[in-house]
Amino acid sequence: MPDDETPRRFTGAAKYVLDEELANIVNITMALEMPLLLKGEPGTGKTMLAHAIAENLTMPLIVLNVKSSMKLIDALYQYDTLTRLNDSRFRDSSRDVSKIEDYIKMGKIGQAFVSPERVVLLIDEIDKADTDFQDDMLDVLDQMEFDILEIDRTIKANYRPVIVITSNAKKDLSDPFLGRCNFHHIAFPEPDLMREIVQVHFPNIDRDLLDAAVNTFYRLREFKEVEKKPATRELINWIRALHADPDFRTKELVKGDIPYLGVLFKKSPDFALAQRYVSRFRL
Amino acid sequence: MFTEFFYTLRKVGIPVNPTAFLRLQRALSMGLINSVDDFYTSARAVLVKSERYFDLFDQVFAHHFEGVELTDPTGVELAEAARALLDAWLKDPQALADALGIDEESLSKLSPEELIDYFLERLKEQTEAHHGGSKWIGTGGTSPVGHSGYHPGGMRVGGRSMGKSAVKVALDRRYRDYSHEAPLTRHHMGEALKRLRNMVPMGPKDQVNIDKTIYETMKNGGEIEIVFDRRLKDRLKVILAIDNGGWSMDPYIDIVQSLFDYARGQFKDLKTYFFHNTIYDYVWEDPPRRSKPFRVDEFARLDPETRFVIVGDASMAPYELMATDGSIHIEERSGRPSIERLRSIADTFRHCAWLNPKSEMEWPYTRTITVIREFFPMFEITLDGLEKMVTHLMSKN
Repeated sequence: MPDDETPRRFTGAAKYVLDEELANIVNITMALEMPLLLKGEPGTGKTMLAHAIAENLTMPLIVLNVKSSMKLIDALYQYDTLTRLNDSRFRDSSRDVSKIEDYIKMGKIGQAFVSPERVVLLIDEIDKADTDFQDDMLDVLDQMEFDILEIDRTIKANYRPVIVITSNAKKDLSDPFLGRCNFHHIAFPEPDLMREIVQVHFPNIDRDLLDAAVNTFYRLREFKEVEKKPATRELINWIRALHADPDFRTKELVKGDIPYLGVLFKKSPDFALAQRYVSRFRL
Repeated sequence: MFTEFFYTLRKVGIPVNPTAFLRLQRALSMGLINSVDDFYTSARAVLVKSERYFDLFDQVFAHHFEGVELTDPTGVELAEAARALLDAWLKDPQALADALGIDEESLSKLSPEELIDYFLERLKEQTEAHHGGSKWIGTGGTSPVGHSGYHPGGMRVGGRSMGKSAVKVALDRRYRDYSHEAPLTRHHMGEALKRLRNMVPMGPKDQVNIDKTIYETMKNGGEIEIVFDRRLKDRLKVILAIDNGGWSMDPYIDIVQSLFDYARGQFKDLKTYFFHNTIYDYVWEDPPRRSKPFRVDEFARLDPETRFVIVGDASMAPYELMATDGSIHIEERSGRPSIERLRSIADTFRHCAWLNPKSEMEWPYTRTITVIREFFPMFEITLDGLEKMVTHLMSKN
């Protein structure tokens, strides 16, 4: 594999606050040329990390959103038989019907392989697919090549992409899969780090609002029996909502009035529960 | 290098494999790891593949690189640690004050005895806050503030200074919460149960069969011939029998029922019955077990391919299970012991399973669980248990 460029190191990006530990793991994973498997609560920035790596290393980002019905071949390439049939019947395109190559379209993994430069390949929510898909895909990513049966050609990767895989599953992925990845679990940020994350997104945020919002947010996270706790993503959207409201005063938060609960709690049972808890704040 | 560390990880039960270990060696030889902090993060990323083991890893790491013992501290050890702290204090008050976050000024006024008391207090606080975990300060002559020897000079990102060395990070045991099985959400369980499918073609022919269409079109000399198929639908029948008797089952009824409801769309038929502790002549269709009894004998007339799932803790007095007239309800008199009823259910339905909310470790201590397990396949209510149950229920033989 041609990989003669000097190894670049990942140091964070404009909209992503990176802790040292994670930066370390990303760098070592890139050096070892292994995929990095990320787990963690939804909304803690698993997907954002891939975007940040791409931004920081100025590499293009290719995203493969895994779906439950997906077969491996969909991620590699597609043979567009329908267009070919259409062309052969109506002859109204510039494509050459006798050349099957013209009807092969690269899937996301295929695109990452044929790309003329090194790319970041994000494989999002791998747990949605079945285990066979996961294992087969890792085979392809291990060997960095796959065959296109229809034209009997082997596609080899020009550059080994930086591969980031995310998973939301509580249960573990299969052992062979795990064996071929590096692993990191993104823990939920501590309040201090959270303040920084918010500041990155809202550089001009008022100090009092920031403190009040983050404090309230961590209080809300402590509610018992809530199925989907609000995460970083919800907090950012919530602050955006508070900003957009001209009538909002920071004092309300301190007093225990919490507007736009729906932004934070998205499931209806959670929302009802949260409302009950919040009404107790005002006492 | 670090082979001992590797074997300690294995010994405490973290599934680390040699390939990963060699990979770590490669990272070391590539010069990627330059400090203990680097080693901590890299070793964890490369060797440990689940956050459930992060806490164990932290303990082993602290043990290996700082000599922290893997046991709970005792009073004597605490006193010893406090004395070691005092030594360090006398040598270099500023360093210790910094390491522990104490105000040097206020401490310098205390006498040595008072200091020892103060440190002891602090240590107790620390161990309590760490829930009796590993000792956070090494003993046996090592300097208690040894962490600072490893101060990271590594990169600082996002303007945030970590200010903690790897060992101290490890000693924090941030991943404690992940080492316990997290409570399952309904969504996860529903997903697991979705595998309970038995697809057969049903309904109108409204789905294009691509392969057949291509084949028929070729046979037709290129004139398009589209072939339709019926959709696949599930024909699986499921019977759910829930023990809703004692308070011991209360926390689980809701979740079990709603998770089967979640998966209901997948089944052709889902029936729910209720019983208390174990099954005698009747089960009930209504949760209070009063108005709609259903004779257990009639199960024999149902489709034997039905999946029969019992949910209960299977814990009761042995006579309830073994004796004729074992029921604790006076009006429920039966000529046959419950164990025979359960056996006949297991014989009638070859795909049957018992879901037990008690954790598998506790099973051997309850006599009735052991007895029932002999003929009724039993599974834990955890994601793993559910998966195993689904595999069992869908197996061909």
